[in-house]
Amino acid sequence: MNAPAQVKNHATKISVRSLDFYYGGTRALKTISLPLHTHKVTAFIGPSGCGKSTLLRVLNRMYDLYPGQRAEGEVLLDGENILDPAIDLNALRARVGMIFQKPTPFPMSIYENVAFGIRLYERLSRADMDARVEEALRGAAIWDEVKDKLQASGLGLSGGQQQRLCIARSVAVQPEVILFDEPCSALDPISTAKVEELIEELSSRYTIAIVTHNMQQAVRVSDYTAFMYLGELVEFGDTDDVFNRPREKRTQDYITGRFG
Amino acid sequence: MTTSEPTRRESNGTGDMSDMTMEDAAPRSAVVDRAKALSSIALLDRIFFHVTRAAAVIVLLILGGVIVSLFHGSMPAIKAFGFGFLFSEAWNPVTDKFGALPAIYGTLVTSIIAMLIAMPVGIGIATFLTELCPHALRRPIGIAIELLAGIPSIIYGIWGLFVFAPFVQTHVQPPLISLFGDVPVLSTLFAGPPYGIGLLTAGFILAIMVLPFIASISRDVFETVPPVLKEAAAGIGCTTWEMMRYVVLPYSRVGVIGGIMLGLGRALGETMAVTFVIGNAHKVSPSLLAPGTTISATIANEFTEAVGDLYTASLIELGLILFVITFIVLAIARYMLMRIEQKSA
Repeated sequence: MNAPAQVKNHATKISVRSLDFYYGGTRALKTISLPLHTHKVTAFIGPSGCGKSTLLRVLNRMYDLYPGQRAEGEVLLDGENILDPAIDLNALRARVGMIFQKPTPFPMSIYENVAFGIRLYERLSRADMDARVEEALRGAAIWDEVKDKLQASGLGLSGGQQQRLCIARSVAVQPEVILFDEPCSALDPISTAKVEELIEELSSRYTIAIVTHNMQQAVRVSDYTAFMYLGELVEFGDTDDVFNRPREKRTQDYITGRFG
Repeated sequence: MTTSEPTRRESNGTGDMSDMTMEDAAPRSAVVDRAKALSSIALLDRIFFHVTRAAAVIVLLILGGVIVSLFHGSMPAIKAFGFGFLFSEAWNPVTDKFGALPAIYGTLVTSIIAMLIAMPVGIGIATFLTELCPHALRRPIGIAIELLAGIPSIIYGIWGLFVFAPFVQTHVQPPLISLFGDVPVLSTLFAGPPYGIGLLTAGFILAIMVLPFIASISRDVFETVPPVLKEAAAGIGCTTWEMMRYVVLPYSRVGVIGGIMLGLGRALGETMAVTFVIGNAHKVSPSLLAPGTTISATIANEFTEAVGDLYTASLIELGLILFVITFIVLAIARYMLMRIEQKSA
């Protein structure tokens, strides 16, 4: 795979190098190499089971929660190999936030949902904390909808609002990278549009990776696209190039809907 | 039954016909058969309804019967002592003076000790099993804990008396006495000679007995927490402790409280094991090392030798009190669960 060489010069936040991933004896990722560029949105597309979510879960070592899953190769975050067993996982996950397919508000108030993550690492005064929570909620474009009910349970919000609350929670920890795992697949079109708009805004401050089944979404939000198939990285490049001038036949077949 | 019923009826109604004619008639009478079958199913359904309703009614009748007979049996004692029974420390069969205070005190104190120990340990076990334990060890440890619940209480009793109490006497109580001897309040809790048997030992034994309930129910409810919620907690940098404390426990608190209450119910009513190790002394002692008694231990020990109406009636009234205490505990548990559900809604 010589794709990374073709990409224009951009600072690289995360560099995946010859990554293999195993669920027990099954090899789910086959020698993947690609960069995630600083303050850019990279989309992972491909049919179900191609390994795109798996790849995402390697980037913050979420797979470590489960026995029998292991990764081989290198994933460099600012030059530091995060697959190193000695790395502090909690610190890593604070730097690399994650948004899931289904909204995952914690069973606590809206305010606490956001303040909770901040409190893990910082001791703030009441006023500072209020300011940080507001900043995060504004950053996730949900402040106006919840500012009058911050003490209400986060579980009482609509699905789209819950998802933006989760984004606020993630942003509040001040991560460097945010991973989105099909963030809109459980949302209605209006909420989807809001979240997409938000992703674009966030990309000015964060490096973003997004897994999506929706190719229009990939075109709309991403700067780079990686097409994966059966655990392999088939093609990686500018979103524009991948969708309009794919180099591989498999990529073309997939994006034109011939399989997958 | 549903399948045999129609056939039987048919053969009853057509008893004179030969097998040949029946076979010939079979296709034509299909509609009639279906109606018959349906009506017999409807009958079965009605019977089923009445049987299940009877089962439910029987439970209420038994409950009512228990309450009535407890009241009836304890009437002499209630008349003789009134409310003073609850607050009197006397227990003298010779002079016919009885009071429930030592038994109530012992019941509550041993149960509280048991819950104080079993709650954190049980939840700790559940946490370890669901989050931290290597996969290969999960089943063996889980099964071992469930086996713990299956040990008959008499075995806890003899083990407690012959093995555990001497151990507590030599290795637990002396350090406690010397450690807290100079601390105010705590020195009264741990005063007196180390007997081995007593309130503290009974509390320990009860803790071991209720542990499996709390641990296995907590484990089951922890497993109902969606994995993605745990991932989300891990995803903002939570440690396992923070994930358990702020996400898993709040999410599953209703079930955990249910498990704790089930354990408390068992601790309050447990008889045999406690009778062995509590010392059976009718007095209220501020020291946890002193021997005491519980309601159920008193009843089990003395029912056979209770002579005279008042003695028997006093024991039955103790039973009534235990019934009421258990009822109150359950009511509080329900109320707490209701409050929690309202708050989170």
